Amino acid sequence: MLQLLWIIPALPAAGFVVLALLNRHLGRRAAAVIGAGSVGLSAVVALLVAVSFIASPPPGDVYRQVLWTWFDTGGLAPQIAFYLDAMSVIFVVVITFVGFLIHLYSTEFMERDEGYTRFFMYMNLFVASMLVLVLADNLLLLYLGWEGVGLCSYLLISFWQRDLQNVYAGRKAFIVTRIGDTALIIGLFLLFTQLHTLAIQPLMAGAAKEWPVGSGFAVAAAALLLGGAVGKSAQLPLQTWLPDAMAGPTPVSALIHAATMVTAGVYLIARTNVLFTLAPDVRLAVAIVGTVTLLYACFCALAQHDIKRVLAYSTMSQIGYMFLALGVAGWSAAIFHFMTHAFFKALLFLAAGAVIESLGGEHDIFKMGGLRRKLPTAFWAFIVGAASLAAMPLVTSGFYSKDLIIETSLGSVDGNAWLWLGALVGSLLTSIYAFRLVFVVFFGDQQTPVTRRPRWRMLLPLWVLSALSLIGGFVWLPEWMGSFHPLENFLGEALPPLKTVASSFAYTGVSALLTSLVAVVGVALATVWLVESRAALGDFAARPTPHALQEFWLNGWGFDWLYEHVFVIPVKWFARVARNDLVEPAFSGLAWLNVQAWRALSASQNGVLRVYIAVAGVGLVVILAFVVLR
Amino acid sequence: MTGGDLITLLPLIVLTASPVVVMLAAAFWRSHALALTLTLVGLTATIVSLFIAAGRTSRQVTPLLSFDAYALFYIGLLTAATAGVAILSWNYLQRRHVHPEEYYMLLLTATLGGAVLVASTHFASFFLGLEILSVSLYALIVYPIYRTQFVEAAVKYLVLAGSTSAFLVFGMALVYAETGTMTVSGLAPLLRAGLGGADVVVVLGVVLLLVGVGFKLAVVPFHMWTPDVYQGAPAPVGAYVATVSKGAVFALLLRYFRPVSLDPGSSLFLVFAAVAIASMVAGNLLALRQDNVKRILAYSSIAHLGYLLVAFLATGERAAIAVTFYLVAYFATTLAAFGVVAALSPPERDAESLSDYRGLARRRRWTATAFTIALFSLAGMPLTMGFIGKFYLVTAGAGSALWALIIVLVLTSTVGLYYYTRVVVAMWVRQPDEGAEAMGAAVDGASGAVLAALTAFLIVFGVYPAPLIHLIERAVSSLL
Amino acid sequence: MAAVSLDHGLILAAILFVIGFVGLLTRRNLIVVLACIEIMLNAAGLAFVVAGARWGRADGQVMFLFVLAMAAAEVAVGLALAIRFRQSLGRLDVDDADEMKG
Repeated sequence: MLQLLWIIPALPAAGFVVLALLNRHLGRRAAAVIGAGSVGLSAVVALLVAVSFIASPPPGDVYRQVLWTWFDTGGLAPQIAFYLDAMSVIFVVVITFVGFLIHLYSTEFMERDEGYTRFFMYMNLFVASMLVLVLADNLLLLYLGWEGVGLCSYLLISFWQRDLQNVYAGRKAFIVTRIGDTALIIGLFLLFTQLHTLAIQPLMAGAAKEWPVGSGFAVAAAALLLGGAVGKSAQLPLQTWLPDAMAGPTPVSALIHAATMVTAGVYLIARTNVLFTLAPDVRLAVAIVGTVTLLYACFCALAQHDIKRVLAYSTMSQIGYMFLALGVAGWSAAIFHFMTHAFFKALLFLAAGAVIESLGGEHDIFKMGGLRRKLPTAFWAFIVGAASLAAMPLVTSGFYSKDLIIETSLGSVDGNAWLWLGALVGSLLTSIYAFRLVFVVFFGDQQTPVTRRPRWRMLLPLWVLSALSLIGGFVWLPEWMGSFHPLENFLGEALPPLKTVASSFAYTGVSALLTSLVAVVGVALATVWLVESRAALGDFAARPTPHALQEFWLNGWGFDWLYEHVFVIPVKWFARVARNDLVEPAFSGLAWLNVQAWRALSASQNGVLRVYIAVAGVGLVVILAFVVLR
Repeated sequence: MTGGDLITLLPLIVLTASPVVVMLAAAFWRSHALALTLTLVGLTATIVSLFIAAGRTSRQVTPLLSFDAYALFYIGLLTAATAGVAILSWNYLQRRHVHPEEYYMLLLTATLGGAVLVASTHFASFFLGLEILSVSLYALIVYPIYRTQFVEAAVKYLVLAGSTSAFLVFGMALVYAETGTMTVSGLAPLLRAGLGGADVVVVLGVVLLLVGVGFKLAVVPFHMWTPDVYQGAPAPVGAYVATVSKGAVFALLLRYFRPVSLDPGSSLFLVFAAVAIASMVAGNLLALRQDNVKRILAYSSIAHLGYLLVAFLATGERAAIAVTFYLVAYFATTLAAFGVVAALSPPERDAESLSDYRGLARRRRWTATAFTIALFSLAGMPLTMGFIGKFYLVTAGAGSALWALIIVLVLTSTVGLYYYTRVVVAMWVRQPDEGAEAMGAAVDGASGAVLAALTAFLIVFGVYPAPLIHLIERAVSSLL
Repeated sequence: MAAVSLDHGLILAAILFVIGFVGLLTRRNLIVVLACIEIMLNAAGLAFVVAGARWGRADGQVMFLFVLAMAAAEVAVGLALAIRFRQSLGRLDVDDADEMKG
């Protein structure tokens, strides 16, 4: 059964090829069937493979499938090979399953769009690339998938190309992630030149053998990989592209910018965890980046008007939690949160999409309101999603995974109190902004009429994801609830275990209590401010200092302004100034030189036969002279 | 010559019989379809005969020809390329109302010349093969004869080919005069020394020989005919000249020099290196602002021969494999590119101006895609054969520490990216130019099939080159 | 009859060859150009004959026969081309054929 592994990425890839070749000739129905069907079938195969893997694990808990060797030049012989272990199983199942639900949703969401076939073409290519990324056996193949998802992200963000703003958003995403990608490729070069392989397992083994803890190479490699991860996962300082990426259609935001692509960085770090273990400083940096980002994003989310931007910052924040977990060596905990986050974030985005569509394209939450009776499924989906996001105790999956991270941030040998405090405060803020969203959108007076209602293809994914958001956490219960953690055992086959200083019943119990408390307090605050005394809040927000603060958070703490002023404007100014004297001549000079050379050579081709013969003759004489005189 | 030899010679015999059959058939019944069919039958029979000949152990037939695995591989390659050109010519000729039967005959004789070249181990067969190829081409280039540019191109080609053939023969005579040998094995010691301590006469002879070869390969400074002939010849003939004619001569060059590894300090090495660098630089620069697609392809072919020479200068089995792989990739991509030009040409002229291609993607999406992939392969983009080929070339060069050459290769490839992308952008830009609606000529089924096959070939072997590499390894090992 | 030494023969061939080449460069009439090519080819053939004589083998003369045959074929096509050239461009001046350039 495990031999079917290659089919999992092959199916969406085939879907892409078919949709690309037959673009003009396919009707909507066919495009939907092919587009969603390929991912659906892939999900089925993924489930089969997963069941087979769990039921009868292969030797060493690892399954490698080599398809062929791409090319062989003695030194470098990359193979097209897939590597399946417990972590990949989780990722593959989540990607295909959630991906399928989102594709199903899109068949209805995008149905009035003229680029219907093109949409599914790109989405299939994306799913194929992402699967290649997580299944890759070597870093070169992983990089291929990495670039593929980046390309699809760009294509899908700017999907509605007629509006230039969308194109700019896509471009921004591409450029910012490119910075990270450059760091990544340099890291790959470093690893290859030092350890002479790019196959992941030999690479990790080689690093462990040859590089002592804290060695320069390990630090450099880990830092560069971190750079790549930061770009793709929209963490500080390369996070500015994610909110703007909401310009794409909502299913794109759900799939790419919530459940999958942005988690590629998490996957990368978890996959190369040996390097990070060898470079504890970099690992601490991972944790710090995660914590700072999660706090930053929470504040931003509090101030947003656009429903999707709130969710975007929320994603940024939750990935910060995953980075935090990775940084304190809670590798499995991060994967657990990835899984639950995929469920509830996709749920939230899809529900938001349903709301947006029903209101005829309205994104501003302050123009919504009172929708809880008009759009009941969306409302309940939002409640479930927000509750899971806020980590409401016991009944939501988010509670279990977030609580695990919070307790790990202090309990791990690498944990410290500041990280823990940050995570806890973040949780409070998360709860507040999540329910702010719920209350503003679904309670209060209705501002915009409901013009459409979602039908089964949009509703079914909402129901399924709601269910998963509720029960998905029961695979890993904390210590105080008993010793039921099949997920931890499963992931333990692939990832190093967590070393803790505190993990007793009492400790985890208290931690859970605090997490719950924080979540509930957050809801309470949100209720007070937004339901009970909305007017008072409005007055407060209108005063100068709070207003300025709100604006500041709304604009992402001014990062765009900062980058614009620190990087973009000076570079443009410099380019203008230097256009006439400094570095510009080097570049335009190069181009000018080429063109002049072209002119000269082109003039030599004057069409006269005898000149051609003469040139040949002269050439002959020159060669002859050289050879004879030597 | 024994009966066994005749079996070894079978490919050549079939290839000789084919044009005779086509000619005879045309004498009785003039039919384009019949001529093409007979041509393709003949070419297919040649390929089948390759397998039969491969079963023989003794490969040398008279001191003139050796049908080892290397020769058989290349004959197969040339035959396949010719078949592609023949199919691409079908619609091209059909639209132009000329008597096409002689065209196919000439195509077959030219291929015969090429086949003789790749199997040649002696000056006599070298000369014969070269001349058969050349004379056939003189007539092919001017075939539709209704436009001045065909005549101009043919005259230029004829005069230059004729004179460089004379150089070639004189060179052979001088070499023979001094060394008394005309075979590959006889020449090996001489070449091994790289012309170091040899007599002036011999040196003169070898250099003159290289003039003849250099012309056919279109390397600097013998390249000046290339753009005019590519532009002036009908598109399928341009494809033929660009691929078979160059490929056959290069294969021969490889055979004559392979048993030898040139000492990097020797004069001969430096001459080749200088020619390679000059070709890479001039070829890429000359194409920079060209507006004529056929001229762009011509200059790019000059550059590609420069790249090939870099790997040619490298030693070791890897280098020979790299050269052959790159040649195969070059064949496929050039045929595809010219095939697009041929398929899109309306009856009164060729589709050679860049403005003919503006907005092509709108009107002919598949053709534009095929052309894009061919251009990307020429540029060396990953996932195409061109990338793997270039990678192998660079690795081969690095293996022999040919740093200067590799640097030039990489830099000029970057320049090359510009003009290839220019064409691609022109195709995918939204608005076609005003007069470009004339390009509405539909791409016929046969050409479309060939283009699709070539495009698939380029991508499949760009991603999974292993089977082809194995085949090439077997071919090359018989050479070394 | 005294044998002609190799060097003398080769020098003669070389002189003829150069005459042909110079003619090729300077003359503009297409027919004359073809004739010059013929001169060059025959000079080369002469060189072969002389070389064969030096080694006392028939190889040189055989090669000369090949050269002769191919030259004839070339000229046949060349003359047909010359006719077509005259028809398209009006006269036999090779320099007229410079429409394609750059």
